[in-house]
Amino acid sequence: MSGRGPEPGLDGALAILREVAWRLEAAARFESTAGAAVLRSVVDAAVALIRAEAASIALHDPATNRLIFRVAAGERGTGVVGLEIDADEGVAGYVFQTGQPIALGEATSDPRFGRVVAEQTGYVPRSLIAVPLGDEAGTLGVLEVLDRRDGAPFDLRDLDAAAVFARQATVAIRATRLERDAASLLAGAIRAIDTEARLSAADVAALASAATAGLDDEGSQAWALADAIARIRESDPGQLGLVLDIVDALGRRSGRPAADAWRRSRR
Amino acid sequence: MTGPAAEPVLPAWSEPFAGPDRARLARARPFGTVARAAAFGGTDGGGQRVAIVDSGVEAAHPAVGGRVVESVRVELAGDDVVILPDPGHDVVGHGTAAAGIIHSIAPGADLLSIRVLGPDNRAKGLAFLAALEWAIESGASVVNLSLSSKSEALYADFHALADRAYFSNVLLVSAANNVPGPSYPSLFAAVVSVAAHDVRDPDVWFYNPAPPVEFGAYGLDVDVAWRGGGRMRVTGNSFAAPHITGIATLIRARHLGISPFETKAFLAATANDPDASPA
Repeated sequence: MSGRGPEPGLDGALAILREVAWRLEAAARFESTAGAAVLRSVVDAAVALIRAEAASIALHDPATNRLIFRVAAGERGTGVVGLEIDADEGVAGYVFQTGQPIALGEATSDPRFGRVVAEQTGYVPRSLIAVPLGDEAGTLGVLEVLDRRDGAPFDLRDLDAAAVFARQATVAIRATRLERDAASLLAGAIRAIDTEARLSAADVAALASAATAGLDDEGSQAWALADAIARIRESDPGQLGLVLDIVDALGRRSGRPAADAWRRSRR
Repeated sequence: MTGPAAEPVLPAWSEPFAGPDRARLARARPFGTVARAAAFGGTDGGGQRVAIVDSGVEAAHPAVGGRVVESVRVELAGDDVVILPDPGHDVVGHGTAAAGIIHSIAPGADLLSIRVLGPDNRAKGLAFLAALEWAIESGASVVNLSLSSKSEALYADFHALADRAYFSNVLLVSAANNVPGPSYPSLFAAVVSVAAHDVRDPDVWFYNPAPPVEFGAYGLDVDVAWRGGGRMRVTGNSFAAPHITGIATLIRARHLGISPFETKAFLAATANDPDASPA
Protein backbone atom coordinates (compact mmCIF):
# COMPACT_ATOMS: atom_id res chain seq x y z
CA MET A 1 0.00 0.00 0.00
CA SER A 2 2.98 2.32 0.61
CA GLY A 3 3.32 3.16 -3.10
CA ARG A 4 -0.21 4.58 -3.19
CA GLY A 5 0.21 7.31 -0.64
CA PRO A 6 -1.23 7.42 2.84
CA GLU A 7 -4.30 5.34 3.60
CA PRO A 8 -7.41 7.37 4.32
CA GLY A 9 -7.56 5.98 7.87
CA LEU A 10 -10.61 4.53 9.57
CA ASP A 11 -12.34 7.87 10.10
CA GLY A 12 -11.90 8.81 6.46
CA ALA A 13 -13.04 5.41 5.23
CA LEU A 14 -16.05 5.52 7.52
CA ALA A 15 -17.04 8.96 6.22
CA ILE A 16 -16.89 7.66 2.64
CA LEU A 17 -18.91 4.58 3.57
CA ARG A 18 -21.52 6.70 5.35
CA GLU A 19 -21.85 8.86 2.26
CA VAL A 20 -22.43 5.73 0.14
CA ALA A 21 -24.93 4.38 2.67
CA TRP A 22 -26.98 7.60 2.61
CA ARG A 23 -27.07 7.57 -1.16
CA LEU A 24 -28.09 3.91 -1.22
CA GLU A 25 -30.86 4.52 1.26
CA ALA A 26 -32.09 7.54 -0.68
CA ALA A 27 -32.09 5.52 -3.91
CA ALA A 28 -33.92 2.66 -2.21
CA ARG A 29 -36.57 5.07 -0.94
CA PHE A 30 -37.08 6.49 -4.40
CA GLU A 31 -37.48 3.03 -5.85
CA SER A 32 -39.67 1.72 -3.08
CA THR A 33 -42.66 3.82 -4.07
CA ALA A 34 -42.60 2.22 -7.53
CA GLY A 35 -42.04 -1.21 -5.95
CA ALA A 36 -44.97 -0.74 -3.61
CA ALA A 37 -47.19 0.03 -6.60
CA VAL A 38 -46.28 -3.32 -8.15
CA LEU A 39 -46.92 -5.13 -4.87
CA ARG A 40 -50.25 -3.36 -4.55
CA SER A 41 -51.26 -4.63 -7.98
CA VAL A 42 -50.31 -8.16 -6.88
CA VAL A 43 -52.59 -8.06 -3.81
CA ASP A 44 -55.34 -6.47 -5.91
CA ALA A 45 -55.09 -9.36 -8.36
CA ALA A 46 -55.03 -11.91 -5.52
CA VAL A 47 -58.26 -10.50 -4.08
CA ALA A 48 -59.96 -10.43 -7.47
CA LEU A 49 -58.90 -13.85 -8.72
CA ILE A 50 -59.16 -15.82 -5.47
CA ARG A 51 -62.41 -13.93 -4.75
CA ALA A 52 -61.21 -13.07 -1.28
CA GLU A 53 -62.19 -10.38 1.18
CA ALA A 54 -58.65 -9.10 1.60
CA ALA A 55 -55.00 -9.75 0.85
CA SER A 56 -51.78 -8.27 2.18
CA ILE A 57 -48.03 -8.54 1.86
CA ALA A 58 -45.71 -8.32 4.85
CA LEU A 59 -41.98 -7.96 4.24
CA HIS A 60 -39.22 -8.98 6.60
CA ASP A 61 -37.06 -6.22 8.06
CA PRO A 62 -33.72 -7.86 8.87
CA ALA A 63 -32.72 -5.00 11.16
CA THR A 64 -35.61 -5.53 13.57
CA ASN A 65 -36.50 -9.13 12.64
CA ARG A 66 -40.11 -8.09 12.20
CA LEU A 67 -42.63 -8.58 9.44
CA ILE A 68 -44.07 -5.25 8.28
CA PHE A 69 -47.31 -5.16 6.31
CA ARG A 70 -46.51 -2.98 3.30
CA VAL A 71 -49.55 -3.25 1.03
CA ALA A 72 -53.09 -4.56 1.27
CA ALA A 73 -56.21 -4.88 -0.86
CA GLY A 74 -59.89 -5.41 -0.17
CA GLU A 75 -62.26 -3.03 1.60
CA ARG A 76 -61.72 -4.62 5.00
CA GLY A 77 -58.05 -5.35 4.59
CA THR A 78 -56.34 -2.02 4.17
CA GLY A 79 -56.17 -1.25 7.91
CA VAL A 80 -53.28 -3.66 8.20
CA VAL A 81 -50.77 -1.52 6.27
CA GLY A 82 -47.94 -0.36 8.50
CA LEU A 83 -48.61 -2.99 11.14
CA GLU A 84 -45.58 -4.91 12.40
CA ILE A 85 -45.40 -8.35 13.95
CA ASP A 86 -42.49 -10.44 15.22
CA ALA A 87 -41.02 -12.64 12.50
CA ASP A 88 -41.20 -15.69 14.73
CA GLU A 89 -44.75 -15.22 15.92
CA GLY A 90 -48.07 -16.47 14.72
CA VAL A 91 -49.04 -18.03 11.46
CA ALA A 92 -47.27 -15.43 9.29
CA GLY A 93 -44.09 -15.95 11.32
CA TYR A 94 -44.42 -19.71 11.00
CA VAL A 95 -44.81 -19.51 7.25
CA PHE A 96 -41.94 -17.03 6.99
CA GLN A 97 -39.66 -19.34 8.95
CA THR A 98 -40.65 -22.68 7.45
CA GLY A 99 -41.37 -21.58 3.89
CA GLN A 100 -44.43 -23.82 4.02
CA PRO A 101 -47.64 -22.41 2.51
CA ILE A 102 -50.70 -23.19 4.64
CA ALA A 103 -54.39 -22.45 4.63
CA LEU A 104 -56.29 -22.16 7.90
CA GLY A 105 -59.98 -21.85 8.46
CA GLU A 106 -63.00 -22.63 10.53
CA ALA A 107 -61.36 -22.39 13.90
CA THR A 108 -63.86 -24.37 15.90
CA SER A 109 -62.95 -23.15 19.34
CA ASP A 110 -60.02 -20.76 19.25
CA PRO A 111 -59.92 -18.22 16.44
CA ARG A 112 -56.68 -16.72 17.71
CA PHE A 113 -54.67 -17.14 14.56
CA GLY A 114 -55.46 -13.63 13.42
CA ARG A 115 -55.48 -11.96 16.77
CA VAL A 116 -52.40 -9.74 16.44
CA VAL A 117 -53.71 -8.23 13.25
CA ALA A 118 -57.35 -8.49 14.23
CA GLU A 119 -56.90 -6.54 17.45
CA GLN A 120 -55.48 -3.61 15.56
CA THR A 121 -57.63 -3.63 12.46
CA GLY A 122 -60.94 -4.83 13.85
CA TYR A 123 -61.10 -7.51 11.18
CA VAL A 124 -61.18 -11.09 12.48
CA PRO A 125 -60.89 -13.46 9.53
CA ARG A 126 -62.71 -16.79 9.44
CA SER A 127 -60.01 -18.31 7.29
CA LEU A 128 -56.68 -17.38 5.80
CA ILE A 129 -53.96 -18.45 3.42
CA ALA A 130 -50.35 -17.63 4.23
CA VAL A 131 -47.70 -18.21 1.56
CA PRO A 132 -44.00 -17.33 1.75
CA LEU A 133 -42.50 -14.76 -0.60
CA GLY A 134 -39.16 -16.11 -1.61
CA ASP A 135 -36.85 -17.86 -3.99
CA GLU A 136 -33.54 -19.69 -3.97
CA ALA A 137 -31.90 -16.62 -2.44
CA GLY A 138 -34.10 -16.61 0.63
CA THR A 139 -37.48 -15.74 2.09
CA LEU A 140 -38.51 -12.07 1.93
CA GLY A 141 -41.92 -12.03 3.54
CA VAL A 142 -45.42 -13.46 3.53
CA LEU A 143 -48.52 -13.03 1.37
CA GLU A 144 -51.77 -13.47 3.27
CA VAL A 145 -55.21 -13.90 1.72
CA LEU A 146 -58.24 -13.63 4.01
CA ASP A 147 -61.71 -15.19 3.68
CA ARG A 148 -63.25 -16.32 0.44
CA ARG A 149 -66.25 -14.16 -0.39
CA ASP A 150 -68.43 -17.23 -1.00
CA GLY A 151 -67.73 -18.33 2.58
CA ALA A 152 -66.16 -21.64 1.49
CA PRO A 153 -62.85 -22.78 2.94
CA PHE A 154 -59.71 -22.25 0.87
CA ASP A 155 -58.69 -25.28 -1.19
CA LEU A 156 -55.47 -26.50 -2.79
CA ARG A 157 -56.15 -24.41 -5.90
CA ASP A 158 -56.50 -21.25 -3.84
CA LEU A 159 -53.27 -22.15 -2.08
CA ASP A 160 -51.48 -22.58 -5.36
CA ALA A 161 -52.98 -19.42 -6.83
CA ALA A 162 -51.67 -17.56 -3.79
CA ALA A 163 -48.26 -19.16 -4.34
CA VAL A 164 -48.28 -17.87 -7.93
CA PHE A 165 -49.03 -14.34 -6.68
CA ALA A 166 -46.31 -14.70 -4.08
CA ARG A 167 -43.83 -15.62 -6.80
CA GLN A 168 -44.87 -12.56 -8.82
CA ALA A 169 -44.39 -10.37 -5.78
CA THR A 170 -40.98 -11.93 -5.17
CA VAL A 171 -39.90 -11.23 -8.73
CA ALA A 172 -41.18 -7.65 -8.40
CA ILE A 173 -39.28 -7.14 -5.16
CA ARG A 174 -36.07 -8.57 -6.58
CA ALA A 175 -36.45 -6.45 -9.72
CA THR A 176 -37.11 -3.17 -7.91
CA ARG A 177 -34.83 -4.06 -5.04
CA LEU A 178 -37.46 -2.97 -2.61
CA GLU A 179 -35.65 -5.06 -0.03
CA ARG A 180 -32.33 -3.47 -0.78
CA ASP A 181 -30.40 -3.50 2.42
CA ALA A 182 -27.71 -0.84 2.52
CA ALA A 183 -25.68 -2.70 5.17
CA SER A 184 -25.48 -5.93 3.19
CA LEU A 185 -24.71 -4.06 -0.04
CA LEU A 186 -21.92 -2.18 1.70
CA ALA A 187 -20.55 -5.34 3.27
CA GLY A 188 -20.46 -6.94 -0.17
CA ALA A 189 -18.65 -3.94 -1.62
CA ILE A 190 -16.10 -3.90 1.21
CA ARG A 191 -15.41 -7.61 0.77
CA ALA A 192 -14.96 -7.07 -2.98
CA ILE A 193 -12.46 -4.28 -2.42
CA ASP A 194 -10.62 -6.14 0.32
CA THR A 195 -8.90 -8.48 -2.12
CA GLU A 196 -6.13 -9.35 0.31
CA ALA A 197 -8.72 -10.37 2.89
CA ARG A 198 -7.22 -8.18 5.57
CA LEU A 199 -10.60 -7.73 7.22
CA SER A 200 -12.35 -10.49 9.11
CA ALA A 201 -16.06 -11.10 8.53
CA ALA A 202 -16.70 -9.39 11.86
CA ASP A 203 -14.67 -6.34 10.77
CA VAL A 204 -16.66 -6.06 7.54
CA ALA A 205 -19.94 -6.36 9.40
CA ALA A 206 -18.84 -3.77 11.97
CA LEU A 207 -17.77 -1.31 9.26
CA ALA A 208 -21.01 -1.72 7.32
CA SER A 209 -23.02 -1.37 10.49
CA ALA A 210 -21.14 1.79 11.56
CA ALA A 211 -21.65 3.29 8.11
CA THR A 212 -25.39 2.69 8.21
CA ALA A 213 -25.96 3.70 11.84
CA GLY A 214 -28.80 6.13 12.15
CA LEU A 215 -29.94 5.46 8.62
CA ASP A 216 -33.39 4.44 9.74
CA ASP A 217 -34.03 7.64 11.69
CA GLU A 218 -37.56 8.08 10.38
CA GLY A 219 -38.04 11.37 12.19
CA SER A 220 -35.37 13.04 10.09
CA GLN A 221 -36.59 15.99 8.04
CA ALA A 222 -34.17 15.08 5.29
CA TRP A 223 -35.89 11.72 4.82
CA ALA A 224 -39.27 13.44 4.87
CA LEU A 225 -37.97 15.60 2.04
CA ALA A 226 -36.63 12.57 0.16
CA ASP A 227 -39.94 10.72 0.59
CA ALA A 228 -41.90 13.74 -0.58
CA ILE A 229 -39.73 14.03 -3.68
CA ALA A 230 -40.13 10.32 -4.34
CA ARG A 231 -43.92 10.72 -4.27
CA ILE A 232 -43.77 13.71 -6.60
CA ARG A 233 -41.51 11.80 -8.96
CA GLU A 234 -44.18 9.12 -9.22
CA SER A 235 -46.98 11.52 -10.04
CA ASP A 236 -45.61 14.07 -12.48
CA PRO A 237 -42.16 14.58 -14.02
CA GLY A 238 -43.09 18.24 -14.62
CA GLN A 239 -43.62 18.80 -10.91
CA LEU A 240 -40.32 17.13 -10.21
CA GLY A 241 -38.57 19.73 -12.38
CA LEU A 242 -40.30 22.48 -10.46
CA VAL A 243 -39.26 20.96 -7.13
CA LEU A 244 -35.71 20.63 -8.39
CA ASP A 245 -35.69 24.33 -9.31
CA ILE A 246 -37.02 25.29 -5.88
CA VAL A 247 -34.53 23.09 -4.03
CA ASP A 248 -31.74 24.44 -6.20
CA ALA A 249 -32.81 28.02 -5.47
CA LEU A 250 -32.93 27.27 -1.75
CA GLY A 251 -29.51 25.72 -2.02
CA ARG A 252 -28.07 28.80 -3.74
CA ARG A 253 -29.61 30.99 -1.06
CA SER A 254 -27.79 29.00 1.56
CA GLY A 255 -24.61 29.71 -0.36
CA ARG A 256 -23.96 26.10 -1.30
CA PRO A 257 -25.10 23.70 -3.96
CA ALA A 258 -28.39 22.10 -2.91
CA ALA A 259 -27.02 18.60 -2.68
CA ASP A 260 -24.31 19.78 -0.30
CA ALA A 261 -26.85 21.49 1.91
CA TRP A 262 -28.93 18.36 2.04
CA ARG A 263 -25.90 16.31 2.86
CA ARG A 264 -24.84 18.74 5.53
CA SER A 265 -28.22 18.47 7.20
CA ARG A 266 -27.55 14.78 7.67
CA ARG A 267 -24.50 15.31 9.83
CA MET B 1 -64.20 -23.10 -5.86
CA THR B 2 -64.26 -23.09 -9.63
CA GLY B 3 -66.62 -25.06 -11.84
CA PRO B 4 -65.84 -28.56 -13.05
CA ALA B 5 -64.72 -27.25 -16.46
CA ALA B 6 -61.98 -25.13 -14.94
CA GLU B 7 -58.40 -26.25 -15.38
CA PRO B 8 -57.16 -27.37 -11.98
CA VAL B 9 -54.11 -25.48 -10.81
CA LEU B 10 -52.34 -27.27 -7.99
CA PRO B 11 -49.12 -26.83 -6.10
CA ALA B 12 -46.33 -28.32 -8.14
CA TRP B 13 -45.68 -31.23 -5.84
CA SER B 14 -49.37 -32.07 -5.47
CA GLU B 15 -49.96 -32.26 -9.20
CA PRO B 16 -49.07 -35.95 -9.70
CA PHE B 17 -51.51 -36.93 -6.94
CA ALA B 18 -54.56 -34.96 -8.01
CA GLY B 19 -57.30 -35.19 -10.60
CA PRO B 20 -56.67 -36.88 -13.95
CA ASP B 21 -52.87 -36.75 -13.53
CA ARG B 22 -53.15 -39.43 -10.89
CA ALA B 23 -53.78 -42.12 -13.51
CA ARG B 24 -50.13 -41.77 -14.50
CA LEU B 25 -49.11 -43.21 -11.14
CA ALA B 26 -50.46 -46.64 -12.19
CA ARG B 27 -47.68 -49.21 -12.32
CA ALA B 28 -46.74 -52.81 -11.68
CA ARG B 29 -46.25 -53.26 -7.95
CA PRO B 30 -43.23 -55.29 -6.84
CA PHE B 31 -45.23 -57.18 -4.18
CA GLY B 32 -48.58 -57.36 -5.90
CA THR B 33 -51.10 -56.05 -3.42
CA VAL B 34 -50.09 -56.06 0.23
CA ALA B 35 -53.07 -56.06 2.56
CA ARG B 36 -53.00 -53.12 4.96
CA ALA B 37 -53.89 -55.49 7.80
CA ALA B 38 -50.68 -57.41 7.09
CA ALA B 39 -48.63 -54.23 6.83
CA PHE B 40 -49.79 -52.47 9.96
CA GLY B 41 -52.90 -54.13 11.40
CA GLY B 42 -53.23 -55.04 15.06
CA THR B 43 -50.94 -52.32 16.41
CA ASP B 44 -51.47 -48.86 17.83
CA GLY B 45 -47.83 -47.86 17.41
CA GLY B 46 -46.98 -48.84 21.00
CA GLY B 47 -43.26 -48.95 21.72
CA GLN B 48 -42.42 -46.44 18.97
CA ARG B 49 -41.13 -42.92 19.56
CA VAL B 50 -42.05 -40.24 17.06
CA ALA B 51 -40.16 -36.94 17.03
CA ILE B 52 -41.91 -33.80 15.77
CA VAL B 53 -39.61 -30.98 14.61
CA ASP B 54 -41.97 -28.03 14.49
CA SER B 55 -43.39 -25.12 16.50
CA GLY B 56 -43.65 -27.16 19.70
CA VAL B 57 -46.48 -29.42 20.84
CA GLU B 58 -49.12 -28.45 23.38
CA ALA B 59 -48.68 -31.43 25.67
CA ALA B 60 -51.97 -30.84 27.49
CA HIS B 61 -54.05 -30.78 24.31
CA PRO B 62 -56.63 -33.60 24.41
CA ALA B 63 -55.74 -34.53 20.82
CA VAL B 64 -52.30 -35.81 21.85
CA GLY B 65 -53.66 -38.03 24.61
CA GLY B 66 -50.91 -37.23 27.10
CA ARG B 67 -48.37 -39.03 24.91
CA VAL B 68 -45.81 -36.20 24.76
CA VAL B 69 -42.95 -37.70 26.76
CA GLU B 70 -40.33 -35.02 26.13
CA SER B 71 -40.25 -31.42 24.87
CA VAL B 72 -37.10 -29.52 23.97
CA ARG B 73 -36.26 -26.37 22.07
CA VAL B 74 -33.26 -25.25 20.08
CA GLU B 75 -31.60 -22.03 21.10
CA LEU B 76 -28.66 -20.16 19.65
CA ALA B 77 -26.07 -19.00 22.15
CA GLY B 78 -23.55 -17.01 20.14
CA ASP B 79 -22.22 -19.41 17.54
CA ASP B 80 -23.33 -22.43 19.53
CA VAL B 81 -26.61 -24.20 19.23
CA VAL B 82 -27.99 -25.61 22.46
CA ILE B 83 -30.90 -27.93 23.16
CA LEU B 84 -32.88 -26.97 26.25
CA PRO B 85 -35.88 -28.50 27.98
CA ASP B 86 -39.07 -26.72 26.96
CA PRO B 87 -42.46 -26.58 28.66
CA GLY B 88 -44.95 -28.46 26.51
CA HIS B 89 -46.33 -25.52 24.60
CA ASP B 90 -46.75 -24.50 20.97
CA VAL B 91 -45.96 -21.00 19.73
CA VAL B 92 -48.16 -21.37 16.63
CA GLY B 93 -50.40 -24.43 16.77
CA HIS B 94 -48.78 -26.17 13.83
CA GLY B 95 -46.73 -28.69 15.81
CA THR B 96 -49.79 -29.60 17.87
CA ALA B 97 -51.67 -30.16 14.62
CA ALA B 98 -48.98 -32.57 13.39
CA ALA B 99 -48.85 -34.35 16.76
CA GLY B 100 -52.63 -34.70 16.84
CA ILE B 101 -52.69 -36.28 13.37
CA ILE B 102 -49.93 -38.74 14.30
CA HIS B 103 -51.65 -39.59 17.59
CA SER B 104 -54.97 -40.19 15.82
CA ILE B 105 -53.30 -42.85 13.65
CA ALA B 106 -50.77 -44.28 16.13
CA PRO B 107 -52.26 -43.57 19.57
CA GLY B 108 -49.83 -45.90 21.34
CA ALA B 109 -46.69 -44.11 20.16
CA ASP B 110 -44.72 -41.78 22.41
CA LEU B 111 -44.24 -38.25 21.06
CA LEU B 112 -41.15 -36.04 21.32
CA SER B 113 -41.39 -32.36 20.51
CA ILE B 114 -38.42 -30.38 19.21
CA ARG B 115 -39.28 -26.71 18.84
CA VAL B 116 -37.15 -24.91 16.26
CA LEU B 117 -38.97 -21.61 16.06
CA GLY B 118 -36.87 -19.17 18.01
CA PRO B 119 -36.20 -15.47 18.29
CA ASP B 120 -33.25 -15.56 15.87
CA ASN B 121 -34.39 -16.94 12.56
CA ARG B 122 -31.34 -15.67 10.72
CA ALA B 123 -29.56 -18.82 11.78
CA LYS B 124 -32.56 -21.05 11.41
CA GLY B 125 -30.72 -23.48 9.14
CA LEU B 126 -28.27 -24.21 11.93
CA ALA B 127 -31.07 -24.53 14.48
CA PHE B 128 -32.88 -26.91 12.18
CA LEU B 129 -29.73 -29.00 11.72
CA ALA B 130 -29.27 -29.22 15.48
CA ALA B 131 -32.93 -30.17 15.94
CA LEU B 132 -32.66 -32.88 13.32
CA GLU B 133 -29.49 -34.28 14.85
CA TRP B 134 -31.10 -34.34 18.29
CA ALA B 135 -34.17 -36.08 16.87
CA ILE B 136 -32.06 -38.76 15.17
CA GLU B 137 -30.17 -39.45 18.39
CA SER B 138 -33.22 -39.27 20.64
CA GLY B 139 -34.24 -42.86 20.06
CA ALA B 140 -37.07 -41.84 17.77
CA SER B 141 -38.16 -44.37 15.19
CA VAL B 142 -39.81 -41.79 12.92
CA VAL B 143 -39.13 -38.05 12.66
CA ASN B 144 -41.80 -35.73 11.23
CA LEU B 145 -40.43 -32.63 9.51
CA SER B 146 -42.73 -29.86 8.37
CA LEU B 147 -39.88 -27.61 7.36
CA SER B 148 -36.80 -27.78 5.20
CA SER B 149 -33.86 -25.52 4.50
CA LYS B 150 -32.94 -23.79 1.27
CA SER B 151 -29.39 -23.12 2.43
CA GLU B 152 -26.88 -24.33 -0.17
CA ALA B 153 -24.18 -23.84 2.45
CA LEU B 154 -25.81 -26.50 4.63
CA TYR B 155 -26.47 -28.98 1.80
CA ALA B 156 -23.65 -31.31 2.81
CA ASP B 157 -24.62 -31.22 6.49
CA PHE B 158 -28.24 -32.05 5.75
CA HIS B 159 -27.18 -34.78 3.37
CA ALA B 160 -24.90 -36.31 5.97
CA LEU B 161 -27.66 -36.17 8.59
CA ALA B 162 -30.23 -37.74 6.25
CA ASP B 163 -27.80 -40.58 5.57
CA ARG B 164 -26.99 -40.91 9.26
CA ALA B 165 -30.71 -41.24 9.98
CA TYR B 166 -31.10 -43.82 7.23
CA PHE B 167 -28.21 -45.96 8.49
CA SER B 168 -29.32 -45.50 12.12
CA ASN B 169 -32.70 -46.95 11.21
CA VAL B 170 -34.53 -43.67 11.78
CA LEU B 171 -37.16 -42.76 9.19
CA LEU B 172 -37.37 -39.08 8.24
CA VAL B 173 -40.75 -37.97 6.88
CA SER B 174 -40.52 -34.54 5.28
CA ALA B 175 -43.24 -32.25 3.94
CA ALA B 176 -42.49 -31.18 0.37
CA ASN B 177 -41.78 -27.48 0.02
CA ASN B 178 -43.55 -25.68 -2.80
CA VAL B 179 -41.23 -22.72 -2.91
CA PRO B 180 -39.11 -22.82 -6.09
CA GLY B 181 -35.62 -24.25 -5.81
CA PRO B 182 -34.25 -27.22 -3.93
CA SER B 183 -34.87 -27.66 -0.23
CA TYR B 184 -33.21 -30.00 2.20
CA PRO B 185 -33.69 -32.63 3.39
CA SER B 186 -37.11 -32.94 1.74
CA LEU B 187 -35.65 -33.72 -1.70
CA PHE B 188 -33.10 -36.32 -0.55
CA ALA B 189 -33.69 -39.95 -1.51
CA ALA B 190 -33.11 -41.17 2.05
CA VAL B 191 -36.24 -39.43 3.35
CA VAL B 192 -39.94 -39.98 2.73
CA SER B 193 -41.27 -36.77 1.16
CA VAL B 194 -44.97 -35.97 1.16
CA ALA B 195 -47.31 -33.54 -0.62
CA ALA B 196 -51.06 -33.06 -0.23
CA HIS B 197 -53.48 -34.85 -2.54
CA ASP B 198 -57.00 -33.66 -3.34
CA VAL B 199 -58.98 -36.41 -1.60
CA ARG B 200 -60.53 -35.61 1.78
CA ASP B 201 -59.72 -38.96 3.34
CA PRO B 202 -56.98 -39.80 5.85
CA ASP B 203 -57.00 -43.44 4.71
CA VAL B 204 -56.03 -42.53 1.15
CA TRP B 205 -52.39 -42.14 0.10
CA PHE B 206 -50.65 -42.48 -3.21
CA TYR B 207 -47.18 -43.52 -4.23
CA ASN B 208 -45.43 -41.57 -6.99
CA PRO B 209 -42.81 -43.63 -8.86
CA ALA B 210 -41.41 -40.39 -10.32
CA PRO B 211 -39.73 -38.70 -7.34
CA PRO B 212 -38.55 -36.47 -5.68
CA VAL B 213 -41.92 -36.30 -3.91
CA GLU B 214 -42.90 -39.94 -3.46
CA PHE B 215 -46.13 -39.79 -1.49
CA GLY B 216 -49.39 -37.89 -1.67
CA ALA B 217 -51.48 -37.88 1.52
CA TYR B 218 -54.43 -36.14 3.18
CA GLY B 219 -53.63 -32.44 3.46
CA LEU B 220 -56.81 -30.75 2.23
CA ASP B 221 -59.38 -29.46 4.75
CA VAL B 222 -57.91 -31.46 7.61
CA ASP B 223 -59.55 -30.97 11.01
CA VAL B 224 -56.54 -30.62 13.32
CA ALA B 225 -55.70 -29.75 16.91
CA TRP B 226 -54.48 -26.17 17.37
CA ARG B 227 -52.99 -24.30 20.26
CA GLY B 228 -55.01 -23.24 23.28
CA GLY B 229 -56.87 -26.55 23.23
CA GLY B 230 -58.53 -25.51 19.98
CA ARG B 231 -59.10 -27.11 16.64
CA MET B 232 -58.72 -25.74 13.12
CA ARG B 233 -59.49 -26.76 9.56
CA VAL B 234 -56.28 -26.52 7.58
CA THR B 235 -54.71 -27.23 4.18
CA GLY B 236 -51.07 -27.76 3.23
CA ASN B 237 -48.30 -30.27 2.58
CA SER B 238 -47.20 -29.95 6.19
CA PHE B 239 -50.49 -31.55 7.26
CA ALA B 240 -50.10 -34.38 4.72
CA ALA B 241 -46.70 -35.46 6.07
CA PRO B 242 -47.96 -36.42 9.59
CA HIS B 243 -50.47 -38.84 8.04
CA ILE B 244 -47.60 -40.75 6.41
CA THR B 245 -45.63 -40.44 9.66
CA GLY B 246 -48.53 -42.07 11.50
CA ILE B 247 -48.84 -44.97 9.05
CA ALA B 248 -45.06 -45.46 8.99
CA THR B 249 -45.11 -45.62 12.80
CA LEU B 250 -47.69 -48.40 12.70
CA ILE B 251 -45.68 -50.31 10.07
CA ARG B 252 -42.52 -50.05 12.19
CA ALA B 253 -44.42 -51.13 15.31
CA ARG B 254 -45.82 -54.14 13.50
CA HIS B 255 -42.50 -55.15 11.90
CA LEU B 256 -39.95 -54.36 14.57
CA GLY B 257 -36.48 -53.59 13.29
CA ILE B 258 -37.32 -53.05 9.63
CA SER B 259 -35.23 -50.48 7.83
CA PRO B 260 -36.32 -47.13 6.39
CA PHE B 261 -36.34 -48.51 2.84
CA GLU B 262 -38.44 -51.50 3.89
CA THR B 263 -40.85 -49.12 5.61
CA LYS B 264 -41.03 -47.06 2.45
CA ALA B 265 -41.70 -50.21 0.43
CA PHE B 266 -44.61 -51.09 2.75
CA LEU B 267 -45.97 -47.56 2.34
CA ALA B 268 -45.76 -47.90 -1.44
CA ALA B 269 -47.23 -51.41 -1.47
CA THR B 270 -50.25 -50.35 0.61
CA ALA B 271 -50.86 -47.10 -1.27
CA ASN B 272 -54.21 -46.61 -2.92
CA ASP B 273 -54.70 -47.63 -6.51
CA PRO B 274 -54.56 -44.31 -8.36
CA ASP B 275 -57.37 -45.36 -10.71
CA ALA B 276 -59.79 -46.71 -8.16
CA SER B 277 -59.71 -43.91 -5.62
CA PRO B 278 -62.44 -41.30 -5.41
CA ALA B 279 -61.47 -38.05 -7.09
